[in-house]
Amino acid sequence: MDESQDIVHPEVRAHINSLVSALGGFSTFEDGRYVLGDSALEVLRDLKKWIRFYDEKTNRMDVARCLYDANVLEGDLLHILASWPESATDNKFKSRAALACIEILVPMTWPLDRDVEIMTVNHHRHMPVLQLAQINYKRLIINFDAAQILHTAVRTALPSMALPRTERTPRDEGIIKLVLLFLRNIAMIAPPPNVKYDGDESQISRSALLDAFSYQDILLTILTLASNMGEDFNQECVIVMEIIFHLVKRVDVTKLFMEEKELSKTKANELASMMSKEAAMHRPYNRRAPSRHNRWGTMIWMDRGDGKMSVVSGQDALLDAATRQQKMDSAKVFRPPRRARKDEMEPRELGPPVSLNTRARTQLRGFVEDFLDSGFNPLFHLIRKRMEEQREYILEYHYRQFFYLISWFLEAERVRKKASKSSQPTQGESDVRSYNLVASVLNQETFVMLNRSMSDAIEGKRWHELSAAMRCFTQILLTVQDMSESGNEDDEEIADNILNRIFYEEETHDRVAQLARSYKDQDFEYLDACIELTHTYMRVLEAYSKQNTDLQIRSRRRVRKKKKAAKAAGEDGADDIAPDVEDDSENDGAHAERQTKERKFEFARFANRFVTQGVVDTFVSFTKFYHDLNESQLKRAHRYFYRVAFKQEMSVMLFRVDIIHMLYNMIKGPEPLDKGNSTYKEWEELVKQILRKCMRKIEDRPQLIIEMLFSKINATVHYLEFGHEKQTISTS
Amino acid sequence: RKDVTGLGIDEEVAVAKKARVPNVKLDETRLLSEKGIPRLRRKAGELKFKGKGHEFSDAARLLSFYQLWLDDLFPKARFLDALGMVEKAGHKKFMHMKRVEWINEGKPQSSRP
Repeated sequence: MDESQDIVHPEVRAHINSLVSALGGFSTFEDGRYVLGDSALEVLRDLKKWIRFYDEKTNRMDVARCLYDANVLEGDLLHILASWPESATDNKFKSRAALACIEILVPMTWPLDRDVEIMTVNHHRHMPVLQLAQINYKRLIINFDAAQILHTAVRTALPSMALPRTERTPRDEGIIKLVLLFLRNIAMIAPPPNVKYDGDESQISRSALLDAFSYQDILLTILTLASNMGEDFNQECVIVMEIIFHLVKRVDVTKLFMEEKELSKTKANELASMMSKEAAMHRPYNRRAPSRHNRWGTMIWMDRGDGKMSVVSGQDALLDAATRQQKMDSAKVFRPPRRARKDEMEPRELGPPVSLNTRARTQLRGFVEDFLDSGFNPLFHLIRKRMEEQREYILEYHYRQFFYLISWFLEAERVRKKASKSSQPTQGESDVRSYNLVASVLNQETFVMLNRSMSDAIEGKRWHELSAAMRCFTQILLTVQDMSESGNEDDEEIADNILNRIFYEEETHDRVAQLARSYKDQDFEYLDACIELTHTYMRVLEAYSKQNTDLQIRSRRRVRKKKKAAKAAGEDGADDIAPDVEDDSENDGAHAERQTKERKFEFARFANRFVTQGVVDTFVSFTKFYHDLNESQLKRAHRYFYRVAFKQEMSVMLFRVDIIHMLYNMIKGPEPLDKGNSTYKEWEELVKQILRKCMRKIEDRPQLIIEMLFSKINATVHYLEFGHEKQTISTS
Repeated sequence: RKDVTGLGIDEEVAVAKKARVPNVKLDETRLLSEKGIPRLRRKAGELKFKGKGHEFSDAARLLSFYQLWLDDLFPKARFLDALGMVEKAGHKKFMHMKRVEWINEGKPQSSRP
């Protein structure tokens, strides 16, 4: 590059370069070992000052860019760290040099997510380079052969960590934090979405990271910190949580706990099913592929009734009527104006799914088991308390990670239990009470916080947080359900209590219903979490309310004073008309008064709230992805449609042309569901039944032909379904 | 004309924009027009189902019935897009009224109010 057109100020570059060259270098004697410069410590301090007072104060990235160009990490810092061997731990000078290196490494590896709105030209100029630079840093740090860099980093903090908490100075705490942040940064760095890393992926992958963490005893350090949370460590809780989050995010729990043989079998099955899926994808194309060259020029008149004709060209138009119509349709170019839609399947925020190699899998599995055994309760208990206190070091994204991790570890615990049960059925007695291991997130305080977070997230439209919270809630329900079936009396009683507490609040019921109803073009991750929660909640609640027929719920509602007075006369009738009261009292909150009362819970009434158009639409937009859904996801959708059509007898809700179109295409369309799919048979049967019902309804009530075009109005649904008006118990 | 200023640059040129032809929309007026729902109701009589055992072919017939009707009504949009537009138009107050009316027409005139 022409020097006069350097993108950073030439003086800055000159300063940084001279500092870096003063740091040290490879000696020409002594086998080319690295030798520190005479005033290396001061130089490191200067570099730190440059970063702090130039980059951070003025909000630029020039120094970071110069440091990258000067290759300071590979050329100097790593070698300085490496020159502090285990045997020389007491060497004051070397340990200080190491610490100074870490102090530079932390800002160099700091995550580069800036708010797009406050980014300057400078950021746009440097960020793409620096993102790749950081990946490079990560690769160098975790693959450095001459020494264990991460281990060395932890060693710099060890003296401070060894002190009891009361005796630590702010400086000690700072050092611990610094080192943990360094580990966090390393764990966090990943190729940005939509950038293809062109180096060796395996050197920066999660497997490599886990390998390095395990080999350099970092996992042990994390475990130690986590299990002593609340005693020897306090503030560090969120950083430890972040590290764990970046270690386990998007790791498939079920695969993690599989035995080697089972895993290879699963993988083989996966491959086979993928291949059959691909073949199934090609089959329809092959079937209708032209048997002649593409200038053969077939042209067809299509009779469309009323003496009108349409023209379709191409050989495949000869196949059948459906293809002709489809060809006619797909030839149209008009697209209705639409807002940009985000229908990507991958949750961008968490990165792509992770696949681990065998070694990393065993290492992570060991870590997860140890963590569940020792660190889970203290860590999550403390973080929850800190979040309730709203400490200043708790940031917004920590809530998200907190809920994500709870759901991940609860699932891990469940899967682990299942795995251990199936391998040694008699061994169940020895770890009877092990639901204790996750008890800290199954208490009332957590539920309160979860509920509050969910309602806050709904209000603030923070969908990522909300979907993490929904997943967390789902896993809690599943865990409690497992507990209640564990066969242990104590566990069952506890589970019963927990469920009672969860289902006691009507607000919870309302919220789940609201979530299911109000999905509107959020991303797929959210949709999936929402569907999973709805499915699980209804299943668990149904089972529970069947067992406990006298389940009471506390409903809270605003009642106008006047109304209340009027109602005082006819008190006994109040219970039946509960839902009607809300609407008209909503607007005069000033006069409103909170009234709580208990009433009996009826599952049928609750389930009725899930056959509204909103919920049906949510499930329909989920099922539209049927090509990409796995079997359990398809099952959820299947159960729901089955419930709507046959259990609740509201099949009319499904009779809308686009829904019928989707269901039909799932089975008989040009791109049907793979026949090898285990749920295919069930779907075929369900769709057949729904279609049959639909035809019969149309014959019974010809008005349905029109109503099939629209979302149904409440007033007419009942008539269309049953042929008579709803019998309402009128109070007037 | 050969003027000193004969280059024609002094003459005013009308730059008034021609009004664009308005977009055709699939809204309730179109839906309620002769080609719309009235036609759908008329044609519905011709629709015959084979019944049990032929669920899928019946469904295909039903779908193609709707598709052809929509293609006549609003040829420029694709089937699913057009369905979305129709559905949206159905939320209008006037449409609601009409829909209730259509349903009531079909109800058996019972003694109960």
